Amino acid sequence: MRHSNGNLILGGVTLAFAILVIFVWIPLDTQTGLIEKVRRQVTIGDALAPTIAASFLAIGGLMLVLFERNADDQPRVSSQDVLFGLALVASVILSVLVMRYSGPATISIWNLLSGGEAEYRLLRDTAPWKYIGFLLGGTMMITLLVSLVEGRVRARTLLIAFVSVSVMAAIYDLPFDDLLLPPNGDV
Amino acid sequence: MGTLDYIWLGILAVFQGPELFSIFGLPVSVTLVMILIGFLTGIAVGATPGLAGPIAMAIALPILISIFGYTPDALLPVMGFLIGVMKGATIGGAVPAILFNTPGTPDAYMTTLDGYPMTQKGQARKALRVAHFSSASGDTFSDIVLIICAPFLALLVEAYLDFPEKTALLILSLSFIGAVIGGSPAKGVLSTGLGLLAVYIGTGEDFYPRMSMGSDHLSQGFPIATSVLGVLIIGAVFKEMTDLWHQQRKSGTPPQFTDEGNQRLTRAEICRLLPFVGRSALIGTAIGALPGIGSTLAATLGYTVGRARHARTKSANVPDFGEGASEGIAATEAANSSVSGANLIPVLSLGIPGNAAAVFLILAAESIGGFNPGPSVFRFTQDVVNPELVIAFGLFTAMFIANALNWTIGGLFMRSMGVMVRIPKHILLPTVLLLTLTAIYVQETRIEAIWFALGFGALGYVMRLLAISPLPFVIAFILGGKLEESARQAFAATGGDAWFLFSSPISIGFIAASIGIILFSAGKKKHAA
Repeated sequence: MRHSNGNLILGGVTLAFAILVIFVWIPLDTQTGLIEKVRRQVTIGDALAPTIAASFLAIGGLMLVLFERNADDQPRVSSQDVLFGLALVASVILSVLVMRYSGPATISIWNLLSGGEAEYRLLRDTAPWKYIGFLLGGTMMITLLVSLVEGRVRARTLLIAFVSVSVMAAIYDLPFDDLLLPPNGDV
Repeated sequence: MGTLDYIWLGILAVFQGPELFSIFGLPVSVTLVMILIGFLTGIAVGATPGLAGPIAMAIALPILISIFGYTPDALLPVMGFLIGVMKGATIGGAVPAILFNTPGTPDAYMTTLDGYPMTQKGQARKALRVAHFSSASGDTFSDIVLIICAPFLALLVEAYLDFPEKTALLILSLSFIGAVIGGSPAKGVLSTGLGLLAVYIGTGEDFYPRMSMGSDHLSQGFPIATSVLGVLIIGAVFKEMTDLWHQQRKSGTPPQFTDEGNQRLTRAEICRLLPFVGRSALIGTAIGALPGIGSTLAATLGYTVGRARHARTKSANVPDFGEGASEGIAATEAANSSVSGANLIPVLSLGIPGNAAAVFLILAAESIGGFNPGPSVFRFTQDVVNPELVIAFGLFTAMFIANALNWTIGGLFMRSMGVMVRIPKHILLPTVLLLTLTAIYVQETRIEAIWFALGFGALGYVMRLLAISPLPFVIAFILGGKLEESARQAFAATGGDAWFLFSSPISIGFIAASIGIILFSAGKKKHAA
C-alpha cells in the first residue's frame, strides 16, 4: 500500500514555521536578545524562551521528516473534514457576532420606534435587555451546529436550543450578581 | 508543628470548614457537600457518551469561583468538587460501555469487550458491580500510594534540586510528555513547542510585550482559560461533531436484554477477581505516576496482563477474555481507575500536571490563589503553620472522602445512570460548546476571550485531524511560564553561566534523559514504521 505523505508535509511546514519564528518573528518583535547585559549584569533576554519553544517545533518537524515520514498511522485529512470544520467555526463566529451586537441593535430600533435615547451600556444589567444578545446568539449557535450535523433545519431544534440557552442564562445569571453574561462585559 | 499535626489540621480543614447546614446539631461543612456533588456529577458525566470529567470541570470552575470567591477558603470546596468529578467520571465511564457497548470515556473502551457480552448474557448488573468493585479498589490503592509518595518526592526535590536542576527537570518533563503522549513522539514534541510558543506571546520582562506584533489584544498574552479550554474542550467538540456528521446515525432503539440469575457479587467471585484487580492496580498506579501517560494505556496493559493470567489459570467452563469474563472488566477498570490518584503525584510533588484532570486542579489553584502545587507545598515548618501544607492534607482527606462515597453510594448511583446514554450527542455537544464559551466569558468578561478560545478551538480541531495530541500543548502552556522563571533564577544564581543546565551531575542527567527519551521514542517509531 502507498504511504500517505502527510507526516512529510506536516514536518516540512513545521520546520519552515520554526525557522520563520526564530529568524524573523522573534528578532523583529522582541525587544531583548537571548542574553542581555544590563549595568554589568548578565540576564536572560525575552527572546530566549520563544527561541526554545521554536526549537521544540523544529525538533518535532525534523523528527517527522527523518523518523516518521513512512509511519503507518499517518492521518489522511479529507477536504470534507476541513470544510465541515470551517462551517462549524463560521457558525460560531456568526452567532457570537449576533450575540455581541443584537442587544445594542435592539435598543437602537427601540429608540427609533419610541423616540427615546436609551443606551445599551446603561441597561446591560437590566432584564430583559441583558438577555437579548445571549438568548439570540446562543440559540442561533446551537441551532446552526445541530442543523449542520443533521443536515436539515427543524423547528424542534430551534425550540430545544432556545430552552437550553434559557436554562444556561438562568444558571449563570440568576444566582450570581457579579457574573455578566456575554456580551455584557464589553458593551 | 509535627507531621501528625499537619495531617490533623488538613482533616479539620475539610470537616470543620465553613458550615453549610447542620444535621442533629452536627455541622456539615461546605467542602463535604461539594465533594459529594462533584462525585455524583462526575458519575453522570462519565456515563454520558461525549462528555467527560474535564468538560464538567471546565464548565463548573467559573461558577464555583463565583460562589466561593478568590479566598483561600475557596480552595478546598472548589478542588474537592473537582476531585469528586475526577473520581466519579472514572467509574461512570463503565456504565454505557457495559450496558450499550459505547464507552462513556475513552479509557472505558476495553470494558466494552467483556462488559457488553455479559449484558447480552443477562448479567448486566453483575458486570456493573464488578466494574464498580474493581474501580473503587484500584482508585483507593492509587490514593494510598499518592499520599505516601507525593510528600517524600517533594521533600527529595526540595533537598537535592536547586534552580538549574529544577529547570532541567521541567525540560525533562516536557520532553517526556511530548515523547510519550499519543502515538507519535514527533507530533508530541511539536505540540509541546506550540504550547510553549503560545504562552510566550505577549509576556516577558521587557516593557514591550514580546511577539505581540504591536497589537493591544495580544499584549497581555492569552488567558490560560482560553487556551486550555479552547484546545482541550472546544477542539474536542468540533472533532466529535465532525465524527457524528460522518456517522450514518443508526435508527431505532438499542436492543434490550433482561437480567438473568443472581446479579450479586459473591465472596468467592470477589476472591477470584482480586488477583486481577491487584495486578492492574499496580500497573495503573505505576503508569499514572509518570506525567502524561494516560489511563487508556493503563487499561490496555492491565487487560493484556489479565488476559495472559486468565488463559493460564481459568477452568474450562469460564468464558475467555472478550467473551464476557468478569475478570476482563476487573482488569480494565482497576487499571484505568488507579491512574487518577497516581496522576496527582507529579502535580502535588513537582507541580507538573500529568493529565487533563490535573490541569484543571492547577487551573483552579492558580485562579483562586494561595496554593501553588509543587515541592514547596511540603515544607513542614515547625514554628509557623504552612497553610499550603494544610490544604495539601485537606486534598488528601477529600480524596479519601470521595473514595468512601465511591464504596458506599457510588455503585448504586452508577447503576442508575444507564439513562444518560439516551441524551442525543449532537444536541449535547453544541450545548457544551456554548457553556464552555460562556464559562470563559464570565471569567474574562471580554469578547476577545471568546475569539481567542475559538482560535484555540480551531487549532485543537486541526491538531486532532492531524493526529497531534493536544495534551502536551496544554501542559506546555501551563509549565512554560514556570520554565522561563526557573531558568532566569538559575541563570542569576549561577552568576550568568550560560551552561547552567550542565552545572551539576543531576541536571546533566536530566538533560541527557530528555534527549535520550526523545531519541529512543523516535528510533522506536522509525523501527515500527
